[in-house]
Amino acid sequence: MMPNYKLKYFNFRGRAELARLVFAVAEVEYEDIRFAVEDWPKIKPTTPFGQAPVLEVDGKPLAQSSAIARYLGKEYGLAGKTNWEQAQVDMIMDTMEDILTPMRAIHFCKDEQQKAELQKKYQEETLPNYLKGLETFLCGNNGGDGYFVGSELTLADLTFMHYTGQVEVFVPNPLAKFPKLQALRERVEELPKIAAWIAKRPKTLR
Amino acid sequence: MAHSYKLRYFNLQGRAELARLVFAAAGVEYEDVRYEFADWPKHKASTPFGQIPVLEVDGKPLAQSNAIARYLAREFGLAGKTAWDQGQVDMLVETMMDIGAPVPKIRQCTDEDEKAKLKKSFAEEHLPHYMEAIQKILEENCEGKGFLVGDELTLADLAFMCGQDWLKLAMDNPLEKYPKLQKFVDRIAAIPKIAEWLKKRPETEL
Repeated sequence: MMPNYKLKYFNFRGRAELARLVFAVAEVEYEDIRFAVEDWPKIKPTTPFGQAPVLEVDGKPLAQSSAIARYLGKEYGLAGKTNWEQAQVDMIMDTMEDILTPMRAIHFCKDEQQKAELQKKYQEETLPNYLKGLETFLCGNNGGDGYFVGSELTLADLTFMHYTGQVEVFVPNPLAKFPKLQALRERVEELPKIAAWIAKRPKTLR
Repeated sequence: MAHSYKLRYFNLQGRAELARLVFAAAGVEYEDVRYEFADWPKHKASTPFGQIPVLEVDGKPLAQSNAIARYLAREFGLAGKTAWDQGQVDMLVETMMDIGAPVPKIRQCTDEDEKAKLKKSFAEEHLPHYMEAIQKILEENCEGKGFLVGDELTLADLAFMCGQDWLKLAMDNPLEKYPKLQKFVDRIAAIPKIAEWLKKRPETEL
């Protein structure tokens, strides 16, 4: 019998979107709970660590966005087929997190000049270096015309697609110089179940 | 057939120590390669993303410290016995990262007054709700006499123990107000294969 799933987060894509994408690809029903920012203070104490998202599986809570994504990924065949493949998927997911982390720090920087300098370094060095590594990795698998790991869609591809969208909020056209990565992003976005979810999901800034 | 393992990192505990603890707990041999900072530039290009640690398994590279630790934990039965347990273990490993997140800023702060303020905030606002939550998880699992998840040692226990050294860079005694957690950490550190590693590992600054 299908477990009862409740995903609790703000009304953003943000750190819940990866789980939502897994549910979409797996065609699994879940309650997509989105609370208002002003309601968060009373919801916060009910979560394991005072953070969101939280996934409830038959009422039992699981916190941490990547733990949630990996759990669902394993349940629905998107985590990688062998232990080694799962590790490669993890590596790509963590690398995408490394790409996004400096962007958040820049966003919150209060000194305008420092912010501009950090943004320039990120756009001209940090981000391209990571993307080069990702494109090289992708090209090592089926010439780069398939997926990051193995021969099927995994969390690695979903994370890449989703996080590129998050980077794009700050850096326009991030994949311009990386044709294989750009093609992968489009390929994933055009998969029917994903395209359907993208079309129907609430439109939010991030 | 046994695999050949090579772990490449600086001569520090840092981001490689969790993997080293997994090898120790599992009693598995590996080559513990440690670079001096001056030598690092010449090895950088031979890593997937210009970063270490990197684990080489029969010569194939895996990057990202947590991907490495999770891979080894799964190989050696330390990842959690069920999919749900693995999710809980992942959640706790990720949470340790969140707990330690403010530490770099505190370490890098050169203004003594500002540093004191940051340390106070770390100890009085940031840390408590996490430690209380983890203490509760421990108490509700085997009445606090065992491990964080399930009834055997997992990566979650190693990550919590290992993470204390990082937290001590921001405050003297992170577990002072949490005697049950201190007892738990002491218990993990006393497991024979772990105690042996803790005694023989190189003394390093971090």
